[in-house]
Amino acid sequence: MKKNNPIIAIVFWSLVSFLTLFPIYWLFVISVKPAVQLFSTPDVILSDPYWGNYAKVWGDRLLRSYMVNSLVISTGNALLCTILGFFACYALSRFKMAGKESLFFWTITNRMAPPAVFLLPLFLLMTQVYAVGDFRLLDTRIGMILVYCTFNLPFAIWTLRPTLDGIPKELDEAAYVDGASSWKVITEIVFPLCRPGLAVTLILTWVFAWNEYLLAATLTNFNARTLTTGLSEYVTTTGTEWGIMATISVFTLIPALIVFGLVQKHIVAGLTFGAVKG
Amino acid sequence: MQSNRLGWILLAPTLAILFFFGVLPFIYVVYVSFHQWNPFAADPHMIFNGADNFRKIVFDAEFLNSVGVTVLFVLFAVISELVVGYILAQAFMKEFPGKAIFRTIHTLPLIMAPIIVGSVWKLMMTPSIGIIPHYLNEWFGITVNIGTSPVAAFTTIIIMDIWHWTPLVTLTLIAALVSLPPDPFEQAQIDGANKRQIFFHITVPMIAPAVVATVFIRLMDALRTVDEVWMLTGGGPGSATRFVGVHIFKEVFPKTNYGYGSTISVIVLYLTIVACWLLYVTMLAPRNKKD
Amino acid sequence: MNTVFKLAASALALSFAAGMANADDAFWKEAAAPYQGVTLRGVTESSPPSLYIREVLAPQFEELTGIRVDIETTSWDQMFDKAIKDMEAGTGIYDMVYIEQDIIYSYLARDFLTDTTQLLADHPELKAPTYDEGNFTTFADYFKGSNGHLYGIPMEAFIKIYLYRTDLFGDPDIQAAFKESTGRDLTPATTHEEYTEIAKFFYDYGQKNNLQLWGATVQGHTGHPASWYEYVETIAPTFGIYNWGIKADNNYAASVANGGEMNSDTAKEALQWWLDLRQYAPPESNQSTWTEVGTTFGAGRAAQGLVYGENAGWIASDPEKSLVVGKVGVALPPLSDGVLAEAEAGEGYIGYYDGGAFGLPSTSKNKEAAALFLEYIGQNEVQPDWAVAAPRVTNTATYDDPKVQDMNKELGGYYDMLKDKGYLFAGAPAYPFHAQLREAVAPTFYKILTGDVSVSDGLDQMAEIAEATLTELGYRK
Repeated sequence: MKKNNPIIAIVFWSLVSFLTLFPIYWLFVISVKPAVQLFSTPDVILSDPYWGNYAKVWGDRLLRSYMVNSLVISTGNALLCTILGFFACYALSRFKMAGKESLFFWTITNRMAPPAVFLLPLFLLMTQVYAVGDFRLLDTRIGMILVYCTFNLPFAIWTLRPTLDGIPKELDEAAYVDGASSWKVITEIVFPLCRPGLAVTLILTWVFAWNEYLLAATLTNFNARTLTTGLSEYVTTTGTEWGIMATISVFTLIPALIVFGLVQKHIVAGLTFGAVKG
Repeated sequence: MQSNRLGWILLAPTLAILFFFGVLPFIYVVYVSFHQWNPFAADPHMIFNGADNFRKIVFDAEFLNSVGVTVLFVLFAVISELVVGYILAQAFMKEFPGKAIFRTIHTLPLIMAPIIVGSVWKLMMTPSIGIIPHYLNEWFGITVNIGTSPVAAFTTIIIMDIWHWTPLVTLTLIAALVSLPPDPFEQAQIDGANKRQIFFHITVPMIAPAVVATVFIRLMDALRTVDEVWMLTGGGPGSATRFVGVHIFKEVFPKTNYGYGSTISVIVLYLTIVACWLLYVTMLAPRNKKD
Repeated sequence: MNTVFKLAASALALSFAAGMANADDAFWKEAAAPYQGVTLRGVTESSPPSLYIREVLAPQFEELTGIRVDIETTSWDQMFDKAIKDMEAGTGIYDMVYIEQDIIYSYLARDFLTDTTQLLADHPELKAPTYDEGNFTTFADYFKGSNGHLYGIPMEAFIKIYLYRTDLFGDPDIQAAFKESTGRDLTPATTHEEYTEIAKFFYDYGQKNNLQLWGATVQGHTGHPASWYEYVETIAPTFGIYNWGIKADNNYAASVANGGEMNSDTAKEALQWWLDLRQYAPPESNQSTWTEVGTTFGAGRAAQGLVYGENAGWIASDPEKSLVVGKVGVALPPLSDGVLAEAEAGEGYIGYYDGGAFGLPSTSKNKEAAALFLEYIGQNEVQPDWAVAAPRVTNTATYDDPKVQDMNKELGGYYDMLKDKGYLFAGAPAYPFHAQLREAVAPTFYKILTGDVSVSDGLDQMAEIAEATLTELGYRK
């Protein structure tokens, strides 16, 4: 590629960044405005911020427990999906199982289902079928971790498959010749080579789980409610608490930002889908 | 090669989870779709009515309209995201100061929940007091009202979707472009190919799998879009943004029309699978066969 | 909600300071003794009255009885869905569900609710000396079954009233200008023509003086059922079209051809009048639900409006959310000739009396303990602080409490109106297919709002759809 003038690039990217950041900035502005100022002529520049919403959100014990639930559910789900997706892709990539390509395509169809109508059967299953004695899967963190697999596991398989396909089979075979067990080959040889792909899968499944609303809203009640469902509590017939909603949103951004920041550099390396293979 | 048994063992947990949380609910939905069932009808029980629901769907103007606007939305949104994402990915291929920071900024929208995105855009777009309509009016004299103008509402949703999801496309395309081998490009330049020829004959075929994979994910997710639209317009004005996801939501939630709602869902799922399968077979499968 | 939390905290402090030490404590402790270790679970909308239950009444009750109460507060549509799924599947997750007045008939038709009158009669040991069904206002009648028994303990009640800005209506210059342009005194409208005239006047006034002020609020969202509600519950009755224009006693007829009124000339006139108001309403009206109408009025952007009573409270008294504190007056909605007489005679109504109750699902596994909690929140003693924290009145005695009297002044006489004129308002018609019918006709209604269909054609189509839907649901034979 030929050298370009860096000034042009910087100007271009500043412009793009402005457009990207503006709605996020506006979210922040809403969070530091008292309710009475929200519905008057908007000022672009922030003056005299009001931190009352932050104090309220921080002091709310329910929201704190929602935050913990969100963290546990999305982290648990992302780990589960990434690991299971890795095993599944290893199987699909290395074995000549009958109908495996159809199976591969079938897994992804699980992500296509319009969620609204699936809530009723999931509710019934989780209250009446997946229950032992007094325990039922509804309104539990483990229940939500499993339910989120329906859209995140297909995604994990879809992103990890090319990565696995891209690792030469000769590597495993050489290890087998040396007498390594299958477990050792998978965990000590193939797994480390997939790290970038695994990082991306982990972060994106984490984000999808962290952001999910509809399933959590219906399938949790008291014990496993997540932050996104906490948001909907502020949409009421006597006024939407935009300031509080925006503040919670800012809070939901922070963990996501940290997780994203940690694995940012792996993302580009890992999101190769089919491309490296060629 | 090891025995296939190990392969099935590795796949088993995945298949089990998808069976218990994907297949069983799906079977239930298919079962319900052959029934008339509204718990608040005069007869609140499930009544088998054969294929009546499926016959009804063909003449259901509201449903057909929602399919229409959804297809339009998906086409506009996904194509725009692809074009914008490609331009940005190409721009990221050059070295310039602050690249890492700009790249981080560009990924930020991805980590916002759709329900939050919908809320922010709703506040920014509230007629007359939202910041966008306010300044469009003050600076350019343009009146934008997403409560009255179907075009404004539809466009806003597309822009919102582009804002939210282009980063995903950019990231995947960067990854694809980074991994392109340099040789074919050098050879083409030596042979005197122009930019356009290089783009269509070398770049496009080589990044096609990545593009298709990305489009696939975006297509599926765009078809299921509910939260953002629910927050922003509720499907209005009129039915201008009543996408199938929203339509199904209204059918099953407030209307408690479980029977017919299930039928719509089955049909929508079927159409989605067919569309994705066609895409998959025509674009990706031939490549896989070569291995 | 700021106020709610603040008031809730102070109410909590007060009640603990007083130690709640009265003779009745003994009853609660004794009655609750068999239910130690029980946790009651309720689901409700996250509205201020419900938050008061969660933050104040539930902890008080637990302190007193040792029975833990968890209240799940969620959004309006989620709340219905969750309660219905639980009761339909018979899971028994909830021991208490919020019943909005308009869904009670659906729940009763499905036997979802426990007869609380009967339950207390069968278990005299549960009957609190301080609880009496007779304490409730007439609003409780909406939660009675055909046997006259109570199926829900009222927890909030409001009327949708006519709010106007007393600072504008009382301004001598404005009064003079109004008199000059219309030839009459500026007072709250009593007829539709006057209402439009005032709206137009303030619209012009706002334009001329470059103010962010419009003539009237309109709850005209083009994709949310709030707009349909404003028309059928608030506008149509003032023209004499009741019960959505459907004749329940005439085989649920909706169209004029079959004996209904949904597409009658009067209905069309009513809808046209309301649509015409939009030209004088602030631009956000087309995106306004009940929420935004309150916000619009609270932001001082409208001179008058028909506003839900649950919003009247904070608009008139909460300076953290409202710019028009102390500048709000209340009046009865503008009416067509003869409507008031019909309402007085009990043959019609002039607006919407809404609210909700806490009911005990038939599927609850802790009915006895839940009944105790319901009695607890129904006592006269807990009402005044509740009414101050979240303006709502469900018990007759509450009106006379000094705290509520003070509040009444702050709210421009809203409680007086609720008490004296409440009988002129009515809840939603006794239809068990409320949400189902609404969703069926709503898409057409939105098209009328956007102008894709004319008022006349639209209402004709709506009447037709309504009859078809009711036939499909099995109500219309």
